[in-house]
Amino acid sequence: MKPVRIWFEKKGAARFISHLDLNRCISRAIHQAKIPLWYTQGFNPHAFLTFALPLPLGVRGERESFDIRLEEDLPEEELLRRLNAVLPEDIRLFSAKPPVKKPGEIAWARYRIELEPENGDCAAFCGGLRALLGSEGVWVEKRTKSGTARIDLHPYFRDTEIREEGGKAVLEPLLPAGSRENINPLLLLQALEQRIPGGFYASVSRQGLFDAEKKEFA
Amino acid sequence: MKITKELERVLMKVQKPGRYVGGEWNAVMKDPREIDVRFAFCFPDTYEVGMSHLGMKILYSLFNEQDFLWCERVFAPWTDMEEEMRKRQIPLYALESGDPIRDFDFIGFTLQYELSYSNVLNMLDLAGVPLRTADRAEGDPVVVAGGPCACNPEPLAEFIDLFFIGEGEEVDLEVIRLYREYRAQKKSRAEFLRAAAQIEGVYVPSLYDVSYGEDGLIRAVTPREGAPAKVRKRLMRDLDHTYFPDRFVTPYLDIVHNRAVGEVFRGCIRGCRFCQAGFLYRPVREKSPETVDRQCHDLCENTGYDEVSLSSLSTSDYSRIQELLDRMLQWSRGEKVSISLPSLRVDGFSDELTSKIKTVRRSGLTFAPEAGTQRLRDVINKNVEEDVLLQTVRTAFAGGWNTVKLYFMIGLPTETMEDVAGIAALAQKVVDAYYEDPARKKGRGVTVTVSASSFVPKPFTPFQWEPQDSIGMLHEKQACLVHSIHTRRITANWHDADTSFLEAVFARGDRRLGPVLAEAHRRGMRFDGWSDCFSLARWLEVFHDCGVDPAFYANRRRSFDEVLPWDHIDYGIKKEFLIEECKKAYQDQTTPNCREACSHCGASCFQGGICVEARSHLV
Repeated sequence: MKPVRIWFEKKGAARFISHLDLNRCISRAIHQAKIPLWYTQGFNPHAFLTFALPLPLGVRGERESFDIRLEEDLPEEELLRRLNAVLPEDIRLFSAKPPVKKPGEIAWARYRIELEPENGDCAAFCGGLRALLGSEGVWVEKRTKSGTARIDLHPYFRDTEIREEGGKAVLEPLLPAGSRENINPLLLLQALEQRIPGGFYASVSRQGLFDAEKKEFA
Repeated sequence: MKITKELERVLMKVQKPGRYVGGEWNAVMKDPREIDVRFAFCFPDTYEVGMSHLGMKILYSLFNEQDFLWCERVFAPWTDMEEEMRKRQIPLYALESGDPIRDFDFIGFTLQYELSYSNVLNMLDLAGVPLRTADRAEGDPVVVAGGPCACNPEPLAEFIDLFFIGEGEEVDLEVIRLYREYRAQKKSRAEFLRAAAQIEGVYVPSLYDVSYGEDGLIRAVTPREGAPAKVRKRLMRDLDHTYFPDRFVTPYLDIVHNRAVGEVFRGCIRGCRFCQAGFLYRPVREKSPETVDRQCHDLCENTGYDEVSLSSLSTSDYSRIQELLDRMLQWSRGEKVSISLPSLRVDGFSDELTSKIKTVRRSGLTFAPEAGTQRLRDVINKNVEEDVLLQTVRTAFAGGWNTVKLYFMIGLPTETMEDVAGIAALAQKVVDAYYEDPARKKGRGVTVTVSASSFVPKPFTPFQWEPQDSIGMLHEKQACLVHSIHTRRITANWHDADTSFLEAVFARGDRRLGPVLAEAHRRGMRFDGWSDCFSLARWLEVFHDCGVDPAFYANRRRSFDEVLPWDHIDYGIKKEFLIEECKKAYQDQTTPNCREACSHCGASCFQGGICVEARSHLV
């Protein structure tokens, strides 16, 4: 039994696919590609397949991962080739390596948020954004297991630089991620919609995952 | 498909955006510059429902086999998505290219149930295509429709340019090729429709005039411009040599039937008198086990599905089911694929059969006695004997099952309250059968679920002249059923009588329902098959304001000599046969199934399937 961590990109249509649906898609691909997967040894054997951290719906993933266990050794290239051949184009696997860290060690995630104001006035938009995130009390509603909670986004975004790039405001915040605390970057969009006049287009991607020491999850 | 930033913003706001983005495994992508004809295949319900439909999968793949043609999928956006699309003026688009379907050559609807008609109109409206045939101009798409509900196309006659009657594998392509040829010759829309009407299985409603008598009944349906007086359905005679896809679009989302599907036969030998499918798809045509086995295996290989279902109207009636299962088990076990049978008859359930299908997974058992007493089962020609049912459930209980679902109908012709109480009595006998087994596991109970739907009389059945019970009467019968149950081991549920009423109106409706449908659409009606959207009260207002009495269609007994709205559509079943069957129903007489004896229904005119096969060895 050989554990493997497979790294992939989730883009295009696939970014609108929920975690559960992605799980089903990958399982089916593994089945179709006849990958010699290790099955759990319990009463009801099932394939071992676990994802590092779910990606919020609508967010692109640049460097996502899932873990499988192989019954017999397969060269990395062959494993990737066989799986990529039976996966939709918008899910691309690019690396398969032995896992180094446990998914439970994930504590931070780096996102890239691009915002394009509908009225084209990016400078004004960035100004509004800086003013908003620089002050305390950016309250938003967050859905939790037990109803909704109110949280202030200010502490999470106050150190985030806001750059102007080709008519877009670009932020690359490092946000708490994982089982202990998880801040969804889409909460920022929710806050902006309520507070900054005029519509905007948004594009959000997750760049990578990090442990408590902010070292890359591998 | 291309996701514009405008669309992306909308997708961030709606539930299950995965319904609206395509990009699934096996979705067919083509370069529009190399394509001559574009076809938008519309299923007028949600993605999850439409993606589960086998007919759409067959035609999607078949169409895309043609180099000149690109067939794309379109589903009805859920209400939240519709609202956003209307707000941002995003027209209805196809899931492969993302292109607006108003720019396509064809918009095709599959009509699986009457309650989706309001969605047909709503989708045309969202696409930005004129609703009525009469309002469409030369450049507009040709709007076509097929599927079982096309057997009575009249309620949709003013909205659909052309209907396909019967099975589509040949006729659809003949029409599309004709279109391509006529367009190359710069011929008009009217010329194309006139020529298409000459193809067998094509009904162009605008070429038929309907006149009515003072009594409100149809006087005559008169064809014009050379259109045939009767449109006969198309049928594939040899299913072993009929196209079947070797791959399905495999969705990300969990759809209603998320598995590979092998089709074992079309038609049904049984002739249950309420069942429209049993008459529309005659005669029974089986595939060979070799064909089904190969098709199932190909599908599993190309989709990654670990479950394959053997589909038909009554799979345990497949004459070579054991042979098929033996073949499939040779690869399914090793490839970790489970086999499921969706519809079992109570007399088709055996130890040997179930031991083969439960190899990987097993679900609850479902049987459909349809009526609670033997008399009423004879009336509807559901040839299921009570002791056979009880013997079957005993076998199942001994095999470890302890949940049974029983399907019934209420409101059947000649039904009395005793028959309704008989449903509860039969369920009670099933419960008793469980506790009679001395070997049963102690401390483990049995659950029998009784599901009662309301009978809807349908065209091309022996009950096509029958009145539907009033909603009040159906409610009384539902109450009677509940009061007849005396144990918590039995749970009863039933379908909403309101929706069955509207279904009955449109099932046997005529062209005078067109304006009603248009008005209902104008007032925002859609997703009538969904309880969270459907309101009979709002529909009744529309009927009232349009001056149309829905009871005229649903609750009136029709005479055998009345001109029926679908009389000019021909499914090969003779009207005299249906009349005979209806009379026999009232005499509690059953009719043998097609394997026992030929009852001369008329389907032999197609010269296929069981009508031409030797019968003796098949019984």
